[in-house]
Amino acid sequence: MKTSFVALAALGFTLTACAGGDPMHPHTFSTDWLDDQGKSIAAVQTRLKSAPAGATADLVVAVAGEKNDKLIGAPLSGGSRWTFQHALDARPMIIGTIVLGSGQGEIFALDASNGRRLWARPTGGLALLGGGDDGTVTAVTLSRGTGSTILVIGRDGTVKRQIETDKQLGDPAVIGGVILVPWANQYVSAIDALTGDELGRVTLRDKVSRAEQIGGAVYFGEVSLVRFDEKIAMASQGGANRITLPSRELPGTPRLYAPGSEKLPAVANARDRDRLFARPSTPSGPLGIDSGRFYATYFRLVYGFESSRGQLAWVHTHASEIIGGEAVQGGVLLCDEDGKIVVLDARTGQVTRDYSFGEPIKSCVAQADTYKSLPPPGGGPSLAQQISEAVSNREATLATGQRLLLRELGTLEDESATKTLVDLTSDSRTAPVLVADARASLATRRNGTTFMLAALGKHYDFLRDVLASPPVGPIADALAAMKESKGASLLASHLLDPAITDDDVRRAAVALATLATKEELPMLLHFFTMYRGTAETEDIGLAVASAGEAILRLDPKEGRALIERAAKDPTTVAVARPRLEALLAATSTKPAEPKK
Amino acid sequence: MRIFLRFAVTVAGLGIAVISSDAAGQKPSDPKADKKKPVAAATAPIDVKPIVAKLKSGDEAQIKEALDEARLAGPTGAAAAPAVAEVLTRGLSLPLTQSAVETLGDLESDTGSAALAQYALHRNAKVRRAAVKALTRTKGAAASGALKRALSDGDAVVRGTAASGLGALKAKDAVPDLFTALDHRVNEAAASIGQLCSAEQCEQLAGRLGKIPFDVVTGGLDQVLFRPTADVPDDAKVKIIGRIREQGTIEGNKFLRDVQKRAVAPAASARVRQALDQAVMATAGGAK
Repeated sequence: MKTSFVALAALGFTLTACAGGDPMHPHTFSTDWLDDQGKSIAAVQTRLKSAPAGATADLVVAVAGEKNDKLIGAPLSGGSRWTFQHALDARPMIIGTIVLGSGQGEIFALDASNGRRLWARPTGGLALLGGGDDGTVTAVTLSRGTGSTILVIGRDGTVKRQIETDKQLGDPAVIGGVILVPWANQYVSAIDALTGDELGRVTLRDKVSRAEQIGGAVYFGEVSLVRFDEKIAMASQGGANRITLPSRELPGTPRLYAPGSEKLPAVANARDRDRLFARPSTPSGPLGIDSGRFYATYFRLVYGFESSRGQLAWVHTHASEIIGGEAVQGGVLLCDEDGKIVVLDARTGQVTRDYSFGEPIKSCVAQADTYKSLPPPGGGPSLAQQISEAVSNREATLATGQRLLLRELGTLEDESATKTLVDLTSDSRTAPVLVADARASLATRRNGTTFMLAALGKHYDFLRDVLASPPVGPIADALAAMKESKGASLLASHLLDPAITDDDVRRAAVALATLATKEELPMLLHFFTMYRGTAETEDIGLAVASAGEAILRLDPKEGRALIERAAKDPTTVAVARPRLEALLAATSTKPAEPKK
Repeated sequence: MRIFLRFAVTVAGLGIAVISSDAAGQKPSDPKADKKKPVAAATAPIDVKPIVAKLKSGDEAQIKEALDEARLAGPTGAAAAPAVAEVLTRGLSLPLTQSAVETLGDLESDTGSAALAQYALHRNAKVRRAAVKALTRTKGAAASGALKRALSDGDAVVRGTAASGLGALKAKDAVPDLFTALDHRVNEAAASIGQLCSAEQCEQLAGRLGKIPFDVVTGGLDQVLFRPTADVPDDAKVKIIGRIREQGTIEGNKFLRDVQKRAVAPAASARVRQALDQAVMATAGGAK
């Protein structure tokens, strides 16, 4: 390790730092450092506790333009939109009160309030990874492929220090002249921005590649967040203040943060279309997740989850695909590819504010440190209604997200959930994968009988453009479980409808074995006689046996004679015969023969 | 739903009992009804007792034999229809079901229609096709109802056969359904509409010109133009000719010329012939 100083940024100049033999100060990015049980980082935290927090701007910045060379800034606290033209090779970032961009072999900083260029520095084409700013200096991490560079840049654009290392650095934060930079996915080093000395280091138990300034505090992490506070010294023992999202099924493979060691492309990609958003609750005191909610996006769908157990609280169906955003106090701010920005209420998912970039955008980043989402005036639609809207959308890309919602829908007591499931399964335009899920959910419903009976009243009818049969099988299962005999005649009518599936016929017949009344007997007889010899599938053969069971129950005399004949008749299908024989045996009234 | 309840009532009568009917009062068979006419069709009614006995034997081979004999007898064996319907209603294997359905068609007795109507809703499309085809020959109210229902079948062949059958059955009350079917691309409905339409309905059919393929519409209009004047007044026929003339197309001219050739007295009145002549002249060298 060696230390040197440069006055100007001559990139490619190798600078590393060391702090001599002070055991409290590890060698910069050294790997022979032994965990000091939090002593060095605690000293740094104590030193920085009273450091003034740098100012921040509440702003959303988008990449736009046909050549992706336009930055648009939309201040959230009023003020007019600004634009800045520059070729871009990485996603811009908002750090404090500046917007940092990269492209055409340089990095540049803009004043977040008006988009004016503050400075630019050549990078030799190195990839921009991250940056931090405390209002005095800006620290920028760049990737060199096999290693990384930190540039410490003053407000006037001069490079105060350049630190190079063979380690993979992440996205840093700067506070009180100290750079807090994650590296090797497990450490955060505190580096003096002026001297380059490593003042302290902490080992984290979670993967760490980002240092984020949120709401007046600094957090380390990527998958979860550890607060840089008085408990940071206990991080390596798992004693730091930490938040993590509950494990639950989510659409796609959303990430809370992209790895800080990864350069993000200027244009949003598939990973930006399924994201997680969450915000720590407070900069001090007990740590939780703001508003008790975390959020997931999946193309046009936005999910609000309860943060302690991960239960779905609401779902918002957006007009176009969401490509970025940020959790804010009391909600989540999102931007879509049409250039719209919306703020959704944490509790209900209702839109509380909307803004616009004025044109379609390619990606967006947001910083909303002091911004608060105001509660909406009304409660909005129920979760079941929100899910209904979301799952009714025919866009094929949403199918995975809709499947999750269908499973959620199946667990709701609301009767309208049954209606939605019935509607989805009865609509020939519904994606097959959703139909299968909706049918499975519908079979487990124990309310919404009215909707089920209404659905059973419909049959396939080519001339009337009814091109999908109702979900007879699942409804039969549900009605049988509820012992709802009102549906018996409707179910029986479907036995004789060639348009329903064999599986539906079987399930209808099984339900009728318990639900059918004398009124349904003629239809059961019709079905039984027509199919006892012509059933072509196992399902229909089993349905014949179930119809036989119903007949035997409803007409013990003549029905029995019919079943006996059928059971003996070799033309009766093989699947049904043994079952009919078993039925006869089980319901035999003959006295048992005396034992000899 | 209603159709199935009606079905149920039918089944209640058929269920496990015998369909009671005899051959008395059977309509004479229509010699044009089926090109695959059995050999004995033109002869006097035969003694069907041996056939019935075999049908009631419960033995698959004998039933098969009886069905073959009945098919050969054709309409002269119509007295066997109730027994065939009975075995069908009691349930048979799939091959025998198919055979029994076809046999009922060959017997051309409306006593077979009720049983056939049930099988027009069988899950096997081949059975449904055979049943619908047979119903066009057995006729009767049950046949007409079943064919109307079959217009909504999921199988295009069943729908087409039913549409043609309703024309053969002279089911005038089915014309509105046939129009709906025509608008759903059941092209066979056009000819049946042409056979059955009132003057107003025939004009409605002509109104489909330009909306659905020309050949499909003229398949029905051709029928209209050759119907007796008492059935379709000349005014309606002239209007239809005028509609085709207005099209001013080569295909319209070709159709009119074809009709003109066949429209000799007494098949067409002088007024209709004159309208045809004028229309043919007017459309010569049509637009396309």
